[in-house]
Amino acid sequence: MSATKSSDLGLRLRQNMGFAIAVVLFAVVYFLYQLSHPKGFSSQVFVQNSNEVFSLAMLAMAQTVPVLMGGLDLSVGAVMTLVDCLASHVLEGSGWSIFGGIVLCLLTGAAAGLVNGCVVVFGRIQPIIATLATGAIYMGLALFLRPIPGGKINEDINWAMTNSLADFAETVGIFDDGKAPWFQTIAGFPTSLVFLIVVASVIWIPFRRSVTGRTVYAIGSAEGAAFMSGLNIERGKLAAFTLAGIFAGIGGIFMAIQTSSGNADIPMAGAYTLSSIASVVIGGTSLLGGTGGAIGSIFGTLILKVISFNFRIFDIAPLLQPLFEGLVLLGAVSLGALSILRVKNQLELFR
Amino acid sequence: MIKSKFLLPLTAGAALLFATAAFAGPKIVSGPGADPACFKPWTPETKYFQWEKKPGPYRIAIVNGFVGNTWRIQMIKTAKAFAEQAGIKGDIKELKVISTGTDVAAQLGAMEDFINQGYDAIVTIAVSPEGFDRVIKLADKNNVVVVPFDNVLDTDKVMMVNEDQKQLGAMPGEFLIKEIGKKEGKILEVRGLPGNSVDRDRHIGFRNVMEAAGNKFQIVEVVGNWDDGTAQKVTADAIAVHGKFDGIYVQGGTTGVVRAMMDAKHPFVPVAGESENGFRKLVAEHAKDGLKGLSIGQSPGLVAISMKAAISALKGNPMPQLISIPIPGGDYTTFKDGVNYWSNLTDNFFTTNEFAPCGVNISATEIMAKDEKNSN
Repeated sequence: MSATKSSDLGLRLRQNMGFAIAVVLFAVVYFLYQLSHPKGFSSQVFVQNSNEVFSLAMLAMAQTVPVLMGGLDLSVGAVMTLVDCLASHVLEGSGWSIFGGIVLCLLTGAAAGLVNGCVVVFGRIQPIIATLATGAIYMGLALFLRPIPGGKINEDINWAMTNSLADFAETVGIFDDGKAPWFQTIAGFPTSLVFLIVVASVIWIPFRRSVTGRTVYAIGSAEGAAFMSGLNIERGKLAAFTLAGIFAGIGGIFMAIQTSSGNADIPMAGAYTLSSIASVVIGGTSLLGGTGGAIGSIFGTLILKVISFNFRIFDIAPLLQPLFEGLVLLGAVSLGALSILRVKNQLELFR
Repeated sequence: MIKSKFLLPLTAGAALLFATAAFAGPKIVSGPGADPACFKPWTPETKYFQWEKKPGPYRIAIVNGFVGNTWRIQMIKTAKAFAEQAGIKGDIKELKVISTGTDVAAQLGAMEDFINQGYDAIVTIAVSPEGFDRVIKLADKNNVVVVPFDNVLDTDKVMMVNEDQKQLGAMPGEFLIKEIGKKEGKILEVRGLPGNSVDRDRHIGFRNVMEAAGNKFQIVEVVGNWDDGTAQKVTADAIAVHGKFDGIYVQGGTTGVVRAMMDAKHPFVPVAGESENGFRKLVAEHAKDGLKGLSIGQSPGLVAISMKAAISALKGNPMPQLISIPIPGGDYTTFKDGVNYWSNLTDNFFTTNEFAPCGVNISATEIMAKDEKNSN
């Protein structure tokens, strides 16, 4: 029994080689960073790190879904920016108006994703081109909403979301304002990290297990076979893009909360889209589709970010930092590709 | 997750938090501040900040955003060269320079990280004019001096350093009127990046002077994106269409504009432009033929003034909230090889690195000699 179990584990590890490497690499580099940080392993450092990572992690998850299907979504950065600009208009009030604002932002993200899906499915246009075009439209809408940076977010949401759970509890007024004894063990936890985990487990994991979710994997693996197996291809594609829109929308909401403003920043949207693709690849998802997952992409983002964290501690020439970052990333991706060396049948390489 | 009860208790809880935060940070005091010739308040109404005096030497971090054009690279080299100069070296224990790209979350994160690491001052070129409230709050709480310069923030809660962009537009206007010698003629205005506040302000400053009552200038406007190649092309087109101009104002890419003029065999006329080394070389060579040049600009050396301002603030001196740096530059009568332009350096080196009122002068050789070692 235990033998089967260990060989079972070995198999799962081999199948998720890229993911495993991403996790280990992140753990090592991050440990190094925390160890050398004057305030290493303190709540403040964790809070700062997870705030910085949250939006990109969301975009990485957003990007994962179309990539699993064998496509690319070049509009995720634009959807994030659009929702960011919208949020800077609708998250200023209080109480129910904020709740309504968040729902509106999520719906906007979902709608943007659904439009992408419709263009791809009904327009029969390659995802990469379709989303390039729709991304420009979303960017235009974002500029319409915020021609110049500005806006305001309710200060308390800003405070609650970008600090530790203790501050969150105190601001929202739960658990005796965060002073309940049992709560102290987790009080130093970053709120944004908790939300990241919640989003991943409440949205991604059930989706992956659903028929629609598995359809997305099947499309990326072999679209023809998936169709012949009677899977609803159109629904799978629409769902994939819509989910990407929702994730990107959550990223946009957090971006607005974090910066207390909206900014239709075109270079930044582009940079986020590119980084999201990089995160997906580093996290072990194949750009050809069919294998990988959003959790891996989160770790991809973490690696991407943790490299630049180290620039703040260690002495690396400022103008050489991009080169250094590129080398580490290339190394990470190459490690993931090592499994190719053990391929028994060369035909597998064409997958 | 966010229900109606969200708002009620927060006033109490958060107000407490914000209240404690409000006690830290700079006190608002009345002027005058330290070294008023260098740290000139933007307007007479500018308020003054005073931080608690900290013992030196200090740890200073420079959080740059975008990197990849010569201006930014020269800025980084200038910061390092300045930190090595006598008189400053003793005040700086550690200087760290990082670039975060165009990502505002990364820039906020880096600044917060340096606050957590216990740095005393953070000098930054903001990637966005908004969104720094949280970092400013944290910096105030920890008595860290944050100094945005060049691209500054839309807030009056931090000390900032910049040059007056409207003045940078007005000075070329005054120069052209003086050199042309009459109040009429055809002028070419080569603008910068569309949509940028710097482009807008310089344009307004220029037009205010040129279009003052009694002037009858005909101004042709083209967009040069502050780039030599683009500026050269649009100038060539403008000369082809309009024939002869009596004067030219260039926001950036001046070397390209002068080359376009020479290629088209356009007679030399007064040109007011940026501080590129190439432009000054050409002016020095052709001034006697009529290429009378004014060369002023946004200097990468602003970083040095910002560091100096941060150190002054850490020493407990009252400082203006918004500091206007005297605009560095010169005209064809003052250019001297090896002093304010360098015939042996590249065309796109920015020449303006001396700020006489501040006692700051970083020579070209000092800047270029600096390799990119991260720490001093």
